[in-house]
Amino acid sequence: MARDPLADPGPLIRRVYAYVAYRIGEGAEAEDVTSEAFERALRYRDSYDPGRGEPVAWLIGIARRCIEGARLRPEPVPTAEETADPLDVEGSTIERLTLAQAVDRLDERDRELIALRYGSDLSARQIAEVLELRTNAVEVALHRALARLRKLLEGEEAAQADPRLRERPSTL
Amino acid sequence: MRGFFRSRDEGLDLERELRAGRPQPRDEFVQMLEDRVRETPRRAARGGFRIAFVGAITACMLFALAAVGGLGQAASAVGDVAVTAQRIVNTQGPTIVKKSSAASQYGKPTKKKVKKKVQAKKKVKAKRQVRRAARPRFTG
Repeated sequence: MARDPLADPGPLIRRVYAYVAYRIGEGAEAEDVTSEAFERALRYRDSYDPGRGEPVAWLIGIARRCIEGARLRPEPVPTAEETADPLDVEGSTIERLTLAQAVDRLDERDRELIALRYGSDLSARQIAEVLELRTNAVEVALHRALARLRKLLEGEEAAQADPRLRERPSTL
Repeated sequence: MRGFFRSRDEGLDLERELRAGRPQPRDEFVQMLEDRVRETPRRAARGGFRIAFVGAITACMLFALAAVGGLGQAASAVGDVAVTAQRIVNTQGPTIVKKSSAASQYGKPTKKKVKKKVQAKKKVKAKRQVRRAARPRFTG
């Protein structure tokens, strides 16, 4: 009998959820999509071929199709000021939200790459297999995505430093 | 500012931040899904059992059939079918029945034409002989 891809589900659930949450945002919808991905994985458990990649890459492929199938739109991430505790404005919550906001502002392709690399913790080679690209191309695209994210965060940082910039509309 | 904002001068260690800030699912959700996965049995196991069961039944039936000579009978039946098929395939044209009730009812075909042909041949032969006789003899 072939190796069971779901033999150790705990870490796989966390990785798939992180990927989905980076793609569509944290919360109930991410949980629904993760559940759906695992339901499909259970249904097609026997079709898993170890020769074609690791179980996590197989699951991420399923999760990608679930996201595409559901046609979920990312919910607007609440701003740091809306959700943060006023007594701990500079705490880790504001950092995470700022990072999540920045990731959310990336285009779909960049967000997908970030989600695959830092959400599901896939290697560049595994990402290349999932996206059917060359490893080289994935590395370059990932580098560019990170550069864009860094730029966004630096812009955010400047806005935090200068309150007048923060009040301006974000279309600029 | 701490965290991201503190690192302005140090440069953003974005990869570390992205890994550290990775969205984490609720523990209850993970536990629930984990239980669901563990409770669902693999279908391949049941499939394997079915295949083994069917194989065992087939082997038993073959053994019983062989014990009473059923296999030899089946083999000879297959051979007969092959011979019949060969006969059908290897025919050399349609079979013509010469002696039948229809032939005896309508009589034999007329032989006039045959006679005429024979007579004509005889006439030609006779003419040749006449010509040869009329010619002077070959003396070399």
